[in-house]
Amino acid sequence: MLGLARGLLSGAIVSGTPLLYATLAELISERAGIVNLGLEGVMLVGAVVGFVTCVATGSATLAVAAAALAGALFNMIFAFLVISRRANPLATGLALMFCGVGLSALLGAPYVGSQISGLPEIPVPVLTDLPLVGPALFAHDALVYLAAPVATLLWWVLFFTRWGLSLRAVGENPVAAFAAGRSPHRLQYQALVVAGILGGLAGAHLSVGVAKAWAEWMTAGRGFIAVALVIFSKWHPLRAIAGALLFGGAISLQLQMQALGVPISAFLLDMLPYVLSLVVLAVWGGARRHAAPASLGRVFRGTE
Amino acid sequence: MPLTLIRTAWTLPSVLLALMVVLVAGSAAEAQGLKVGILHIGSMADGGYNQAHAEGIQAMKRNLPGVEVIEVENVPEGADAERVMENMAKQGAKLIVAASFGYLEPALRVAAKYPDVKFFHPGGYKRAPNLTTYWASTPEAFYLMGMAAGRATKTNKLGYVVALPISFFLANINAFELGARAVNPKAETRVVFTGTFLDPAKEATAANALLDQGVDVLGVIVDSPITVVQTAEKRNAYSIGYHSLGAQKFAPKGWIGGIAFTWGNLYTRFARQVADGAFKSENILGGLADDYLTLAPFGAAVPADAVALVNAKKQEFIAGTTQVFAGPLKDNRGMERVKAGAAFPLTDLGKMDWLVEGVIGQSR
Amino acid sequence: MTAPPESATLGIAWRARLTSIATPAGLALVMFAGVLLAFGKNPIKAYVDIFGSTLGSAYGFSETLVKMTPLVLTAVAVAIPAKIWLINVGGEGQLYIGAIFATWGALTFGHLPAWLLLPLMVALGFLGGGLWGLVAGLLRARGWVSETISTLLMNYVAILSLNYVVFGPWKDPEGVNYPQTAEFAPSAILPVLGQSRVHLGLALGLLAVGLFAFFASRTRWGLEMRAIGGNADAARRNGLPVGRYVIGLMFIGGGLAGLAGMCEVSAIQGRLRPSLSPGYGYTGFLISWMASGHPLGILGAAFLLAVVTAGGDILQMTQAIPGSVVNILMAVILFVILGRRPGER
Repeated sequence: MLGLARGLLSGAIVSGTPLLYATLAELISERAGIVNLGLEGVMLVGAVVGFVTCVATGSATLAVAAAALAGALFNMIFAFLVISRRANPLATGLALMFCGVGLSALLGAPYVGSQISGLPEIPVPVLTDLPLVGPALFAHDALVYLAAPVATLLWWVLFFTRWGLSLRAVGENPVAAFAAGRSPHRLQYQALVVAGILGGLAGAHLSVGVAKAWAEWMTAGRGFIAVALVIFSKWHPLRAIAGALLFGGAISLQLQMQALGVPISAFLLDMLPYVLSLVVLAVWGGARRHAAPASLGRVFRGTE
Repeated sequence: MPLTLIRTAWTLPSVLLALMVVLVAGSAAEAQGLKVGILHIGSMADGGYNQAHAEGIQAMKRNLPGVEVIEVENVPEGADAERVMENMAKQGAKLIVAASFGYLEPALRVAAKYPDVKFFHPGGYKRAPNLTTYWASTPEAFYLMGMAAGRATKTNKLGYVVALPISFFLANINAFELGARAVNPKAETRVVFTGTFLDPAKEATAANALLDQGVDVLGVIVDSPITVVQTAEKRNAYSIGYHSLGAQKFAPKGWIGGIAFTWGNLYTRFARQVADGAFKSENILGGLADDYLTLAPFGAAVPADAVALVNAKKQEFIAGTTQVFAGPLKDNRGMERVKAGAAFPLTDLGKMDWLVEGVIGQSR
Repeated sequence: MTAPPESATLGIAWRARLTSIATPAGLALVMFAGVLLAFGKNPIKAYVDIFGSTLGSAYGFSETLVKMTPLVLTAVAVAIPAKIWLINVGGEGQLYIGAIFATWGALTFGHLPAWLLLPLMVALGFLGGGLWGLVAGLLRARGWVSETISTLLMNYVAILSLNYVVFGPWKDPEGVNYPQTAEFAPSAILPVLGQSRVHLGLALGLLAVGLFAFFASRTRWGLEMRAIGGNADAARRNGLPVGRYVIGLMFIGGGLAGLAGMCEVSAIQGRLRPSLSPGYGYTGFLISWMASGHPLGILGAAFLLAVVTAGGDILQMTQAIPGSVVNILMAVILFVILGRRPGER
């Protein structure tokens, strides 16, 4: 039983970390009023660039940095089309996803089967020896440790800085924000740069941290799960932490159950996160709708 | 219509037409020598299943320099596989290796349309006049690995990360547990199914889940053994490889052994058969004695006396004096599956949908 | 880009529409060539291979039609709800559920003759996909969940449901425990055209497009849909049953995607297995969007994308380029179109 709890916690954290970064990426994008269905593509680009960099240089740090940069640059395609060319965000997002899938496959093809040592685990001295929670919480890699702090930082920036306030204003009502002297397009670009960085980190953790391998389309839909997670957490970074843990836990739960020999259908368990999201949305529909940035999905036709 | 419009409207199609004519003409004057096509379900560099087939084809090419190879990776099963095989046949391939279990139906359909092209399918259970199925029966090898694992383990808990509960895989696991039990009556094997042939993140999670349960020997049956072997090595557990001999380098400390498919000579024989017109459809089921099933060298973790024991057993299997699935055998739900004195035949593995006593996991 | 005025001649309108697709397509081809060059591959040979293999032979052309069939259906599945600005990204899930329902029919009634079984399967496929879309429509009509999100989430539930049935209750008893259903009886397979794999589904797709065009432009319902699409609140105030349209159109759209699933499982696969759709639902969304929901445009765009995706196989065989590279070409075509049409809603 203790083994299960420990394994579950550890599994939730490890599986939840890429989800959390991805959710934060989508969250900041949507707070600025832009839905990005192409997050999957951004994550894949981050994953492949991170992995290839690690193979080429042997440095996990460089890999992560390269992945973040690549994610930001890739997301700029999306940003340019949606913000400056006022393209339909949903179609652009899906196109971005396809592009990411193809581009990452092309880039990664020569590297399938390459081996890396990847992100090293950094056990925290003393704390790792804590009974039960020690190894589960304190023997992970750097990106895992940084995940919750990044979420907290994002929360603080969104709600306690002028930039964050302006960004949220743009997401709620870009015309009013524009009238108040903010520059919606510039803020949206900045938000999408951050989103790209976070998306790239999500992908990098998957390839360099968790799997230490590259396979085509290895994100397996996590980019779309992130879109669901953003709603599930009511566009709030701190709640996103809980959501990511929950969903990450669900992913690893069914594998843990099997290891324990518990007879439970893997697929029914896999379905749980999505069904849960839908139920939560449907039941608390009204309140949640008002939690969404009001101008989410609409295109600001500014006078720039 | 204005002249310019006609000119521009007709230029592009004319160029394309010209190019196509050149292409067709070029392909008509094709090289002599056998054309072989092979399609892979995944990447040829996966260090596992697909790489083993790819290396087999490379070896065949080395042995038969006049042979031309058309190789395609990442072909999804179903309609796409059918289209790729038809394209290969149209390009003049006379021998096609459909290297994935799920290619059987598409291969049978294309085989019916092109009776003069010979098809080879690994692991298939249906044949055609121009389609041969082949596989190396692995349970005996898994039994031997089980023996080695049973001796090396310190916690008596062994683990397997497996893609899907397909009968052949279940048979392998059963053989493994039986082998482990033979040298270590307390050994138990836990199985986790990832649900897919390739998903490194899931494989890593599954491997960790097993290790969290106290497992200290990890085996793997997915397309690429690298992730699981690496995860085991990272957490100081022992590992057993599969598919490709190359997996050993990922686990310098914890390597116990491995089972690899070395198709090179078999594929060379296939090519010679087809080139000489001596093809006949058959179901080839090899085993330890054949050259396409190879055991990797044992690692330092296996003590010398265990190696001797394993080798002795191997000779018994080859000589036929011992059966892997000799009864009495009960499944892990308590039902008797093989009576005392009887043995589950290796040719019937397609029907084995249960897990033997001592294996913790579900077959459905 | 605004549409040309009504008084313009048909010729000019057609030419304008053609250039609005052809020029971005041409630009995209150039950009994709650049990507290929950057990776050391030969773009000319790549294009010759793609177009040669898909258009240069009867077989190739038939395969393009085969690939086009589900795309037409999933595109109309998006276009119909889009008439009232409903965003249906659930084509994938609706396709899967349609396939599951049709499979149930094939497995349970396999003994029936084809002329009974096939229409039954068509009906089941439509029903399955339709119900899946209906749920999203209901959630939207009640004001609880945006259909974009609900259809997206339901895609995953649908895919996992398929896994559940092929791994569990419907697993082929003869199939060595492999995750797939038993093979369908011959009476459950859609008839094909001659030696090719072009099947009845293509006719269904064309029928769907035709009916869509007819209903949208020549019936009272089409008029009401346009009114709702123009200004939903005004339409509601004038007594139009907006909620009913939301639910109804999501049902019909989902049903068409479900039909695509039925066709794939019956004509192409012959049984139900996990690898059912390589994203037809999402591609359908893109097609509908590219064509601005216009019926003829859908046919053209579906054909174009069928050529592109079918061409991917050839690239692998002749140039050792991973097949998914065509996704880049598809994306680039879209980017160029997206970039040249500012001001879409």
